[in-house]
Amino acid sequence: MDEFLIKIKNKFRNNDDLFLQEEQILDVSVIFIGFNTLIDLTKTKRTLHKHIANAISSKKTIGELLNELGEVKEEDMTEAISSIMKGKLLIVIKDQHKYVILEPVPKLLSRAIEKPTNENVLQGPLSSFNEDIETNIGLIRKQINSSKIRAEFFSVGPEQKTKLSLLYFDGQVDKKLVEKVKLLLEKNQDRELNNLQDLTEVLGFSGWSVITKFNVTELPSETVPYLRKGRIVLLVDRFPFALIIPCFLWDMFTLENDRNFPIPLMTSIRTVRVIGILITLFLPALYVALVAVNPEVLRLELALTIAQSREAIPYPALVEIILMLIIMELIIEATVRLPSTIGPTITMVGGIILGQAVVEAKLVSTLLIIILAATTIANSTLVGIQNFLAVRFLKYLMVILASIYGVLGILGGMVLISAYLASIETFGISYLHLNYEKEGTKYG
Amino acid sequence: MRTLTLIILTSLCSLLLLSGCWDTKDLNHRSLPIAMGVALEDDNYEIHLQIPDTNQESVEIKIVSEKGQSISKAIDKLSANMESQIDLLHTKVIVIDKDLATKGFKDLISGFMRDREVSPKALVVVSDEKIETLFSKLKNTTDPQGTNLFDFFDKEAGWNPQISLTRVWQVYRSFYSYTKDVAIPIIKSGDSTTVEHLGSAVIKNDKMVESINTEETLLLNAFYNESTSGKVEVMDEATLMIVSNSMDHKSQFINQIPYLKSQLNLKVVLLETTDNPTTKEIKTSLETLLTERFNEMFTKIQESEADILGVGQYFRTKIPREQLKNWRSEYYPNLRMDLQIHVVIQNEGQLKLVDH
Amino acid sequence: MDKSFHVVLMYLLVHFGLIFFLFPNDIISSSDEGQWMPILIGLIVHFVFVYIYMRGLSFLPEKNIIHIYSEISNGLAVFILLPVFIYLLLTNIIGVRAYSEIVTIVFLSNTPSWAIIVLLLLISAYLASKGVEVIFRTGVILAFVIFPIILFVLIASFQNVDWRYLYPLFNDDFRFITNPSYLKSFSAFTGGFLFLGFVSPFLTYKRKKVLIAAAILIPFFLLAVYIPVLTFGHSTSSTFLFPYIMAVDSTYLNWLMFDRVTMFFILCLITFIIVQVSLLLWMASQIINHWIPHNPIYSVVTLVIIIFITSLMITNWETVEHLLWLNSFLRFYVIFTVTLSIYNIGRRSKRKGLS
Repeated sequence: MDEFLIKIKNKFRNNDDLFLQEEQILDVSVIFIGFNTLIDLTKTKRTLHKHIANAISSKKTIGELLNELGEVKEEDMTEAISSIMKGKLLIVIKDQHKYVILEPVPKLLSRAIEKPTNENVLQGPLSSFNEDIETNIGLIRKQINSSKIRAEFFSVGPEQKTKLSLLYFDGQVDKKLVEKVKLLLEKNQDRELNNLQDLTEVLGFSGWSVITKFNVTELPSETVPYLRKGRIVLLVDRFPFALIIPCFLWDMFTLENDRNFPIPLMTSIRTVRVIGILITLFLPALYVALVAVNPEVLRLELALTIAQSREAIPYPALVEIILMLIIMELIIEATVRLPSTIGPTITMVGGIILGQAVVEAKLVSTLLIIILAATTIANSTLVGIQNFLAVRFLKYLMVILASIYGVLGILGGMVLISAYLASIETFGISYLHLNYEKEGTKYG
Repeated sequence: MRTLTLIILTSLCSLLLLSGCWDTKDLNHRSLPIAMGVALEDDNYEIHLQIPDTNQESVEIKIVSEKGQSISKAIDKLSANMESQIDLLHTKVIVIDKDLATKGFKDLISGFMRDREVSPKALVVVSDEKIETLFSKLKNTTDPQGTNLFDFFDKEAGWNPQISLTRVWQVYRSFYSYTKDVAIPIIKSGDSTTVEHLGSAVIKNDKMVESINTEETLLLNAFYNESTSGKVEVMDEATLMIVSNSMDHKSQFINQIPYLKSQLNLKVVLLETTDNPTTKEIKTSLETLLTERFNEMFTKIQESEADILGVGQYFRTKIPREQLKNWRSEYYPNLRMDLQIHVVIQNEGQLKLVDH
Repeated sequence: MDKSFHVVLMYLLVHFGLIFFLFPNDIISSSDEGQWMPILIGLIVHFVFVYIYMRGLSFLPEKNIIHIYSEISNGLAVFILLPVFIYLLLTNIIGVRAYSEIVTIVFLSNTPSWAIIVLLLLISAYLASKGVEVIFRTGVILAFVIFPIILFVLIASFQNVDWRYLYPLFNDDFRFITNPSYLKSFSAFTGGFLFLGFVSPFLTYKRKKVLIAAAILIPFFLLAVYIPVLTFGHSTSSTFLFPYIMAVDSTYLNWLMFDRVTMFFILCLITFIIVQVSLLLWMASQIINHWIPHNPIYSVVTLVIIIFITSLMITNWETVEHLLWLNSFLRFYVIFTVTLSIYNIGRRSKRKGLS
């Protein structure tokens, strides 16, 4: 056995799915190397045989044939290994230190294009991204039939490279912004990129920001309008969604799909979402403030009803609401974790706890349950899971401030949150931009 | 830098947690009196509070009372003796004993305005009987929330156009205003109903000087342009319902004597008739009835030098501010008032009036 | 980039914070009748100075007043900017102390004022340390959320108005000009526009739009005084510390689920105060930064600590009033020197540019 093969074997020690198979092509003995978990060998061979048969009939030499199949390389060990890793088939010519990297018939390891699983679409295009980056770009190209879409590829990672692609709409996008992102991706090429936290660091954002700086969507139909509005879309291999930068506050309330409805309906849908965020942030805090600190704000009748429903409850309003909010968080988290077959159990048990038992056991007041339910429902109206989580997180700040300062605390919290939102910048673009699209076109 | 901010934040948070929340007291640990009765007894205030005591199932009314040199002193004593803290934040009705009302209650009202705990929107009422008797009657209510006294005056609930509505801030304003006095409703406990309305007390500065009956209060409300709709007026010929009212005023100031010409426009609907009167008869009899009633009331309040109609307001353009100070004593007693009542019968109901 | 919209909203917001608390009392106690006259005079002063100030600044585009003075000479910079700095600091101290006292008077009666000062200062310090652009953006969000509430309360406060209290309309007595209360009322007329000279390299704005904002403010200046006067009459409203708030307190809306609308109103204004305090802090830190370049966060933190300690040393409302009185002199000095000198420097540099 020659040296080259031994080296490869050593490199892939203890990998039982690596195959080395001797074959004869035009009476030259060659060895096929690759992972049978990534390559459909039978099909690959069948296509290969067709080529060989063609070659025999047209009397080609082995050299010509190999050139036709792929690039012939010599000695380059690293190239060979990384191609095997990527799922290519290596044809090594025995005793010649030459090999050919062949595009084999791959095993089908990606999902088909399916309906979105994290986002619901009402009356709109249904296909969603999947894990394969090429499919995703294809989906985008299919959605927008324009020659101005540019897709640039990068690979990031110290050893194992993650494919990343940068899409933008030429003529709409701010060129400087694209340059900045490209520069960062090139500069941080050696960084680990396994999750979005890594990506935030690659792009030089702080990992401590509550608000994520990407807008995430798994729908090509949502992604394309962003491209057209001059935003940049990042696709990462094995992530079934598009990351849109820069991202703005207003994105929390808008979906492109809203535009499939008449304008008055679209406006009202969006207003509902704005009300949603306000209720999520203010309602629990208002409960604490009004029950514990500033009861004079409530109307007398309301105050008496609340007092009655809180009678015999052993702890202060703050503890009461934090307790129930945490139970609510647990329920949400549990429903995410559990498979959909057991999921309903949680809903049911949670429903019983929240709806009935806690109140009857006089542990919390009925009003609180209503507030809790309203808050959770309102929270879910926001667009984007990351926004949903951020707002869910921020409401605790409000609750705590409200418990100390009452209504003043709520207003203080509001200033604080506004200040925080105002201080977020992505590549020098404020999070609060309302008409980025209009200004974006100026750069064309 | 980040660690520094973190340290500052954590230490501040712990500081706040340690020192606790100062104003935090849950609603169910507060007693929220709805009505407060105040009487004067040997230079000491005696207060009675009507507190709804909430249970899981129902609301019971608790009446507590205490004496003290000041209101807050008495409340303080009560709070010490009760299982929950008393908060006057939601007190809606202040009942003042008639004796106290005639002696003057400026300090009481000013105290409410200064402290801000009692809302300036709370109503002021005079009790014709001992506060104790009135409040003991209030206790036997079946009202689910115990807000009966408040509901009695609430425009959404039991208010009638015969009842004058005067709030703490209006009373306070009358202490300082040159030209405006107030009328405060007088009540006592009723036989079949919890409360019986007797009319209004006329307050000059901070003392009750006169009283007017319910029908006169209706005219007063009409004069204030307060909506008097729904009121049923019984006369010899017919019973009417006033559906809308409006006022026009014309003031003149000749030879140091103020003249005021007012016109009250009423729109009425016929409810019942006796002996087939004509529309004209109904109109004239209503007009004369009201005019007489008004003149009677006006002479009464003019003699007491209390300008509850706020007539002086119409002369603000005519009398300089320096002299307006003496409005009540110098000009008001000489005022010539001329009220004309104009009645329009808007409709006659489902039946036609038959002309003879 | 043209940020007129931000500047206009900030201009309105800062003035709202100043108009509704102490200003009505100052005007009402300075003149018995025809309050529109002192307000009118104040407004004229306001317009004249804002115009001169902006005109002067427009000759020197892309520069803030710190640059302008230090380009002329360092001595001049110290001579003018030092009083400005002291003025900013003093205004902040008084402001924070006064508003914390208002909060305790009006609704958090048991909370110690230091706790409220901590809240006010922490939020403003956070804002100030993030820089002027963040302050302005925050102002925009707050304006969007809060202006509707303020407008609603303003409309609601007409409920108990008796228009006859408007009379007598004319007052031939001009003694109010020398009344200390009237001089104090200038905190609302002249206390809010100094920031226009500080923001220019970061944000630019159109002069006309700021003047429009000032015009929008006219009815608010009038309403803040006239609503209490029309509700209570002059003699009653002069007994109140915060006449406007009392007037709002007397409105009764039985369809609203909340009982005391005043609280929301006051608190909304307090948020404007927080923004204003942060703006003043930022201006002060800019002045320090000019002499001792550093990360603004350090100066903001230092200033906040100084303000916190000094404001704790003020123990009663009387001292607050006294300081307000003293501060009004400093304010007049600052406003006069800054606006006039900027105008002169601007004119001269323009002439130089022409020749």
